[in-house]
Amino acid sequence: MNTDLQTFDVTVIGAGPAGLAAALEADRQGAKTLLIEREARLGGILKQCIHDGFGIVRYGEKLSGPEYAERFIERLPDSGVTVWTLSFVSGIERVGTDSFLTVITREGMKRVRTRSLVLATGCRERTSRQIGVHGRHCAGVFTAGTAQYYTNILGKLPTKRCVILGSGDIGLIMARRLTIEGAEVVGVYEAKPTPSGLTRNVSQCLWDFDIPLHTGKTVSRVFGDARLTAVEIASVDGCMCPIAGTEEIIPCDALILSVGLIPENELAQSIGVPLDPKTKGAIVDERNETLLQGVFACGNALHVNDLVDYVSESGETAGKAAAGSDRPERELLPVECDQSLLYVVPQRLDKAAAESERVFFFRSSADMDNALLTVSRGETRLLSKRYAHLRPPEMERLPLALSSEQLAGEEPLLFHLEEATHA
Amino acid sequence: MSCLSKINQRLNVRFGGRVTAREHDGCLVLEGALESWDDIVEAGLMAINRRRYDGLVNDIALIGGEIPPMRLPKLQDDVLDGATPDVLVIGGGIVGCAVARECARYDMSVLLVDKEHDIAMQTTSRNDGMVHPGVDLIPGQIKRHYNMRGNRMYDAVCKELDVPFRRSGQYICFHGTKLALAAFFGQFYYRLIGPYGRYLGKRAFAKREPNMSKTISAALYFPSAGVVSPYGLAIAYAENAVDNGVRLSLDTAVLGMTVKDGAIQSVQTNRGTICPKVVVNAAGVFAEEIARMAQDRFFSIHPRKGTNTILDHKAAERMMTIVSSFGTASPKKRHTKGGGLVKTIDDNTLVGPDAVETYMKEDFTTNAQNIADVFEKQSRTDPALHMRDAITYFSGVRAATYEEDFVIRKGKWTRNIVHAAGIQSPGLTAAPAIAVDVSRMAAELLGQTREVKQNPAFHPIRKGIVRANELTSEQRDALIRRDPDYGEIVCRCEQISKGEVKAALHRSVPCDTLDGVKRRVRPGMGRCQGGFCGPLVLQIIAAETGRPLEQIDKSAPGGEVLYGTIKEVRP
Amino acid sequence: MRDTIKLTQPKEIVCIVCPNGCRVLCEPSDGGVRYSGYQCKRGLAYAEAELIRPMRTLTTSVKTAFADAPVVSVRTAGEIEKSKLREVAGELGKLTLSKRVKIGDVVAQNVCGTGVDVVCTSDRLVQSL
Repeated sequence: MNTDLQTFDVTVIGAGPAGLAAALEADRQGAKTLLIEREARLGGILKQCIHDGFGIVRYGEKLSGPEYAERFIERLPDSGVTVWTLSFVSGIERVGTDSFLTVITREGMKRVRTRSLVLATGCRERTSRQIGVHGRHCAGVFTAGTAQYYTNILGKLPTKRCVILGSGDIGLIMARRLTIEGAEVVGVYEAKPTPSGLTRNVSQCLWDFDIPLHTGKTVSRVFGDARLTAVEIASVDGCMCPIAGTEEIIPCDALILSVGLIPENELAQSIGVPLDPKTKGAIVDERNETLLQGVFACGNALHVNDLVDYVSESGETAGKAAAGSDRPERELLPVECDQSLLYVVPQRLDKAAAESERVFFFRSSADMDNALLTVSRGETRLLSKRYAHLRPPEMERLPLALSSEQLAGEEPLLFHLEEATHA
Repeated sequence: MSCLSKINQRLNVRFGGRVTAREHDGCLVLEGALESWDDIVEAGLMAINRRRYDGLVNDIALIGGEIPPMRLPKLQDDVLDGATPDVLVIGGGIVGCAVARECARYDMSVLLVDKEHDIAMQTTSRNDGMVHPGVDLIPGQIKRHYNMRGNRMYDAVCKELDVPFRRSGQYICFHGTKLALAAFFGQFYYRLIGPYGRYLGKRAFAKREPNMSKTISAALYFPSAGVVSPYGLAIAYAENAVDNGVRLSLDTAVLGMTVKDGAIQSVQTNRGTICPKVVVNAAGVFAEEIARMAQDRFFSIHPRKGTNTILDHKAAERMMTIVSSFGTASPKKRHTKGGGLVKTIDDNTLVGPDAVETYMKEDFTTNAQNIADVFEKQSRTDPALHMRDAITYFSGVRAATYEEDFVIRKGKWTRNIVHAAGIQSPGLTAAPAIAVDVSRMAAELLGQTREVKQNPAFHPIRKGIVRANELTSEQRDALIRRDPDYGEIVCRCEQISKGEVKAALHRSVPCDTLDGVKRRVRPGMGRCQGGFCGPLVLQIIAAETGRPLEQIDKSAPGGEVLYGTIKEVRP
Repeated sequence: MRDTIKLTQPKEIVCIVCPNGCRVLCEPSDGGVRYSGYQCKRGLAYAEAELIRPMRTLTTSVKTAFADAPVVSVRTAGEIEKSKLREVAGELGKLTLSKRVKIGDVVAQNVCGTGVDVVCTSDRLVQSL
């Protein structure tokens, strides 16, 4: 056994867009950096996202997922980052603020000691069982990401005629993708009254190909023996339950689900990183450090993003902070939001941090026109900002300069949204 | 008044003359027609008289409902044509597999057939995996006899077959002081008649299972309860049977039999006609159909569906063992299990099952209402139960007779058949003991034609697939150095390596489907339900079997996952 | 000759140029069109193009002769007419790459007479990582 412990300043788990950015940034800061990826190739989910639209914010270009990933991967050979692929972190132990990793590789078991640990483990898709799809458990029920893997990586079609449940971005992208490849997409069905994906994706993926979008409807049952043969669609009531009498049977060979993503935080939880129930990711400060000193989180493991550009930014933030060697004691101030927001990240501010500009990411909890965002501490209003449109699927990035005077005291920061009344 | 007229009188009062009972050579036969399946079942249950009759045959027709025929494999060939095994075992569930393996202890040639594409595809794999202590069984029942014997055999059998088994013990919980008192005296009852049980007061119980409901006032603890993977054990039995010379034929349905002079001459299947000397009926929900073909039908099966839900490992940290509450079974329905919370051998919490009468023997659909009802019922035991922790749910159908007991015996009219029928809960617990007796009966029947000796070459030991994540780091490192595939993780949720997946494809009972691999080494059993590992496992199966990706099935023929290369597939 | 815009009814166009997804309202006005709701000039240009001749980039994949990467992703190097998306996708379906191409390599020239090339968007065929 490779019992000899290998030591790194920064270890990044996951080589998707967040992990690649984190590792390269940590290396740029001079840290001895290890990047661990469980798949054979780097790039994470970007490998299968062959559609364009990546990098508009960062590069001002519309790149495909593999092209975007390559912008980072091509920097690796000239960096000092050590890369392990086909390597799986099976356990983490904490000793003081250091982390000891057990890594399963094709060469054998490896042990790593690292001063900082960056969790860039991405997210996973909600499954048919988690949203209560019932009927017979036959072949032909796929999450959109799995269907995307089959289509774009293996080049094999998982369906000839399908129904898509859920209007998340991957579902919309797959509706277009499958149509281009000759499959028939009967329609996209969304239980909520409004689509879950970006407006531009509804437009270019559905309208461009005349694929109907049905809101307020769900799949209440699936039929089939070995392979799916039909689904039952029903309208839903206010509690998202199917309404009896509204059922309609649609013959098809597959049900493709795009019903949400969940940050992957099994490793984080195994070492006791506290999570935010709203994001289902770690609670972090503005440098993406979790409440465990020396453990950082970024990308979709932190909160599910809709733009890869922000994922890379989040990775760089974590990578930069993880590379920093001497850390003063943090003085954490809570950042909270009320029910008008789905969440705000980071959930803590370090009063002792040197930078005055902090970057926040938030989502509104409902569609809002002419919305007013306020950030306040107690009676003191730190910011008021107007937004023409806010939609839950579209995350907002908010840089905010805060002076140390503004952060004095223990009062939490509160984010609040309200729709401006039409005068 | 004769017993029969009393039964007819009762049926008359309830069903207004639409159902009649008659006696046929020691059996009670019900005839007539009713609109509701529940009524048909009720008629059967109210006509039962075990002391008087060998069995109840319920031939009441269902008006306005069509009982679906048995699903048959599409395969048609003649590979079995002319086979003359000493023993033909029909049904590859836990009982059939165990019987086949026990038969291999004798110098008999054995053929095990199942109509499904893999072992243990129906009732056996749709089970809660509990090895019952036998708490709710009544002395005198055949199933109680086999449960007690089977339970005692588990440690040895699972050791021989290298199947994980944990004697976790079971708590039956009581709410309120009156019931607590009953429980206290209950422990002496159980010490007298078995299984051994121990009374625990409120605090003693809360110390052992601190996350359960605070309203639990007492519990009876039965240490002989345990958990096992039901399909894991069935597959292990089948593999050991094959290792010892048993021939296994899957995708093989029995379609008919030729019976002459009180003996089965031949058995017709979709893969040819077999001429066995002895037939073992272990056909589960279809045991009645097999008995009918054998002209030995003296019992009826009324299928009873149950749904179980599996929770994430995280939720399973709330409990250590098996916990259920007394009184959760509906008092109106007899023989319905109250269900409970079972910490499975794989450390998931299983919630369920419920019990719903159905005439559809292969109705494995689930529905939201049944699961919601089960959760509501079980939240009496653990108030924190929540559907959001569910990673999957599944339904199974129990093969209950109207006597609500097992039928373990030689044929009533036909000489060369042994029935292992009516196997419902606790069939998994009882299977090892049933197999010993049924194989002996088969040997006795065969012994009427020739001398049957022990098989000196029988080897009871089976080595399972290595479970790499249960090894120490040093052991695992050594394993990876022998075969690097054990160092490549395919399933991240359950941490299953490529080496384990490949091993599952090359066993003595091989598999070639995603679900087959899943049942053997668990990729896809975790919270992502195969979203990540499914495509990887599919590629490994294709590479190992040399078949194109689009020919690999999820579970059974006709259930292919993919349709072909992009831009070449046309709707 | 410049295409003329014929608009009789107001129309809302969702700009797909950037993630803002501006909803540009196009209303007939004095024989021309009045645009509102866009946050930058790209939104205005996009809406104008949508009314005259909608253009799109096609992203898809093509088959290869290599077992380690049975397909590789491609896109049109520029925009093509929206109405030609399916035709171009179908044409690319006839292609099987026998060379290990890298990002930016042209895999089809002037596809379907659009004047636009199709380029590879992945290094899957050439990289080991």
